[in-house]
Amino acid sequence: MDELLDRARQAVADARAGGATGAWAQATRSRKSELSVRDGAVETVRSATSRGLSLQIYAEGRYSAHSTTDLRPDRLARFVSDAVALTRLLPVDPFREMPDPALFAGRSAADLSLVDPAVGAVSPEQREAWARAMEARCHGDSRVISATAGVTDEAHEGAAASSNGFEGSWSSTAAWLSAEVTVRDAEDKRPEGSWYTGSRRLSALPDAASLGDKALAEALSRLGSRKGPTTKATMVVDPRAGSNLISRLLGPNNAGAIAQGRSFWAGKIGQRLLSPLLTITDEPLLAGGFGSRHFDGEGIAARPRDILREGALATHYVDTYYGKKAKLSVNGGSPSNRVVKPGMADLGALLRQAHGGVYVTSWLGGNADPTTLDFSLGIRGHVIEDGKPGAPVGEMNVTGNLATLFAGLVAVGNDPWMPSSTLVPTLVFEGVQFSGA
Amino acid sequence: MTPSRRQVLRAAAAGATLVSLPGFLAGCGPKVALSTPTLGANAHFALFGVDAQGLAGVMAELVSSGADAADLYFQYTRTNAATLEDGVVSSASTTVDQGVGLRVVVGDQTGYAYTEDLSVEAMKGAARVAASIARGKAALPPQAFTPVGQPASRYTLALPWSEVQLPQRLERMERLAALAKAQDPAVEKVVVSWSDSEERVLIATLDGRLLEDLRPMSRVWCQVTARRNGVTQSNSSNLAGRRGIDWYSDTNLATLAKQAVDRTLVLFDARRPPAGEMPVVLAAGASGILLHEAVGHGMEADFNRKNVSIYADMIGRRVAPEFVTVVDDGTPNHERGALNFDDEGTPAQRTVLVDRGILASYMHDRMSAKHYGVAPTGSGRRESFRHPPLPRMRCTYMENGPHSREEIVASVQNGIIAETFTNGQVQIGAGDYTFYIKNGWLIEGGKITAPIKDVNIIGNGPEALRNVTMAANDSQLDTGGWTCGKDGQGVPVSQGLPTILVSRMTVGGVNG
Repeated sequence: MDELLDRARQAVADARAGGATGAWAQATRSRKSELSVRDGAVETVRSATSRGLSLQIYAEGRYSAHSTTDLRPDRLARFVSDAVALTRLLPVDPFREMPDPALFAGRSAADLSLVDPAVGAVSPEQREAWARAMEARCHGDSRVISATAGVTDEAHEGAAASSNGFEGSWSSTAAWLSAEVTVRDAEDKRPEGSWYTGSRRLSALPDAASLGDKALAEALSRLGSRKGPTTKATMVVDPRAGSNLISRLLGPNNAGAIAQGRSFWAGKIGQRLLSPLLTITDEPLLAGGFGSRHFDGEGIAARPRDILREGALATHYVDTYYGKKAKLSVNGGSPSNRVVKPGMADLGALLRQAHGGVYVTSWLGGNADPTTLDFSLGIRGHVIEDGKPGAPVGEMNVTGNLATLFAGLVAVGNDPWMPSSTLVPTLVFEGVQFSGA
Repeated sequence: MTPSRRQVLRAAAAGATLVSLPGFLAGCGPKVALSTPTLGANAHFALFGVDAQGLAGVMAELVSSGADAADLYFQYTRTNAATLEDGVVSSASTTVDQGVGLRVVVGDQTGYAYTEDLSVEAMKGAARVAASIARGKAALPPQAFTPVGQPASRYTLALPWSEVQLPQRLERMERLAALAKAQDPAVEKVVVSWSDSEERVLIATLDGRLLEDLRPMSRVWCQVTARRNGVTQSNSSNLAGRRGIDWYSDTNLATLAKQAVDRTLVLFDARRPPAGEMPVVLAAGASGILLHEAVGHGMEADFNRKNVSIYADMIGRRVAPEFVTVVDDGTPNHERGALNFDDEGTPAQRTVLVDRGILASYMHDRMSAKHYGVAPTGSGRRESFRHPPLPRMRCTYMENGPHSREEIVASVQNGIIAETFTNGQVQIGAGDYTFYIKNGWLIEGGKITAPIKDVNIIGNGPEALRNVTMAANDSQLDTGGWTCGKDGQGVPVSQGLPTILVSRMTVGGVNG
């Protein structure tokens, strides 16, 4: 870690010596190992060791950003001097300034529980044993054509330094289990089902074999999938599918999009446009979170904040540059962990309360317009029959406007999907336009 | 990490781009000798700091537990990017990405490792990890590496990007922004994103071949925000290819600016079409997204070798009307999907996927070609040295059909015509595909009427092929910057289509 910080400090010093008025440098390294088993045999073994240096240069109102993985000393020296020279050729942009050092202050010292030494000690034999355990269970049905199971473990380290007093470092580990099953269906169709989970701590992973069972159940649940009717109905969104909606809803809630006139959220702070059931906080200090951090990419000390409070927008994400441009006060321009405030019931209970409609388990394609929030997404799921997931449906779309959709949010579950930096429980919407047959 | 056989396609995002150095910095010191189209192996060795003896040693380590095939994939990419907002180039970036990927193949098994540290020790360390996939006797490494002669490059540029000066780029960006701004008083904001790169590749194989390539790529993207009567709309258009700065001519920039503004302004009047199944006309060009999703991915041989594609048992069968011929082609000069040879060193070629309605061939890398006992089709591609090659698309298009666009539109009573797209996706086994229409029009009584927007289309691949009931004689490749995603790897692709009619697809519209 000291080596990374030294490398960042050196790059800042070199940039200053070369004529930069300000500089920010970040040095990283990581390693990742993966093993997969398909149909009884090891299919792939992969290993990665990575490192890099990135550098941001400020020179009298000019700005540029650079990165390299070529760290040979002669090349690196040339890289830094060229970066400064390039910056001097750019036009002046009055909004370009380094982050205010006052925002570096107040950094939390909390242990974020992002590193588990056991992750670094996983042996190739252990990876293979877990993958085989998952994969074997995936074959528990005669209709299975093929199954693949994988284990990944990774570790990342980084350090950053700036010419205006920032220094910081970070490290994290993670381990992932995944399984995917293809089954034979009518009309030559071969629907697939998958499951995955991950954690920063090895001991938090579930029994590998159980993941194979889940992937198999997912695949079998797709057998006989049909196109459902074109209708307006209730939509229950599985926790695994919720982050897609939340990410699209909040994607344009940042100063960059606002500055460029591409944000639905411009000027809407305080307006209650969405259901009062929707409260979303940004929680950078969450223990073990996949988006947890002590400071953001500009060095701004991370603090929990409300993003949406009972259906009304509370905060934009504002970085230094676009904050100045859009005349918004700088508070950190990127999300950490976005947490949807849970309700009281779980998926099963919410399905039981639903009167018909569609239970959406995953999306297929689709998009949303950041300026208007008009959206249209492909879905897979099940019709809701007698308060339970019934016949599988696919080849359908849901279409509308995300603000209208979330105004029609009628229930929020207590069951967020955890292996994500966007923690979303079951969501229930009313009056959703489905297109199908 | 989410496991998924769902493949995605997106219009080249302005995401992480790669590199720097001489070109962007012309006038800032001596140039590194990287600008000639072919360097020769020795110069490549110098670039990567390796020599033949070092390579042989790394290869020996890589195959020390046995191998049917093995390769070293060296890559050095330099990318220049810049963004213009509010009339000012507010940032520029340069990225250098270099490293080597080491691969061992034994039957259907792959061992893979990469390192950005090109010291022989680091490469040997990575080689040992990759070699662990094999459990047999050492394979014999090549005695020598022989450079493979190649015909003229498909993407030689009149002026390599390494010799283009920064002010030349800035001038093009400023011109584009001014052109867009001048189109209409409703235009409030214009963002121009620029990216160009040069990728140098050196491949050394277990059978002793040594191949080198220089692959340029560039793209300019024009995003427009307009405001009218208190309503804001935004949209974009982009132009891309393995092209030089001459591609961004006054004429092409004017066309791009007009496209971006037209596509934005039409949104003020656009609405949602009705929801449900209806006939869909796909306009010539970018509508090739249908082929990419509905046919292309399912025809990548790895999915078929594993028996998980809906097309796994369909070779030789009729899948579409006689007038439908679908091609995946690495040979069109200067297209995003063009290659001299693929990332395993197989010469690029034109591969007919659907021949007059009959499913003809999958797209093969060497592993799947061996499995099927056929020749590889030059389809083994990878995002970078960080990834093993997989069968991938290049330029995917449908050849001309017997109808005309006018006939096709006139034949539709109630439907839509789709013109611009943002992204698509497919599930290989179930065959369900989607693509997102940003701009299109209603067709009512055989005539194009009101504009539509923001509609997802969903269908099933083999069914869509069967339902291609008309195809026009106006096939063209799209000039936009499409990137295809598979197993976490993005590669540049091209796509094209004549105007066609699909008699029935599910349109994500809205009913009263």
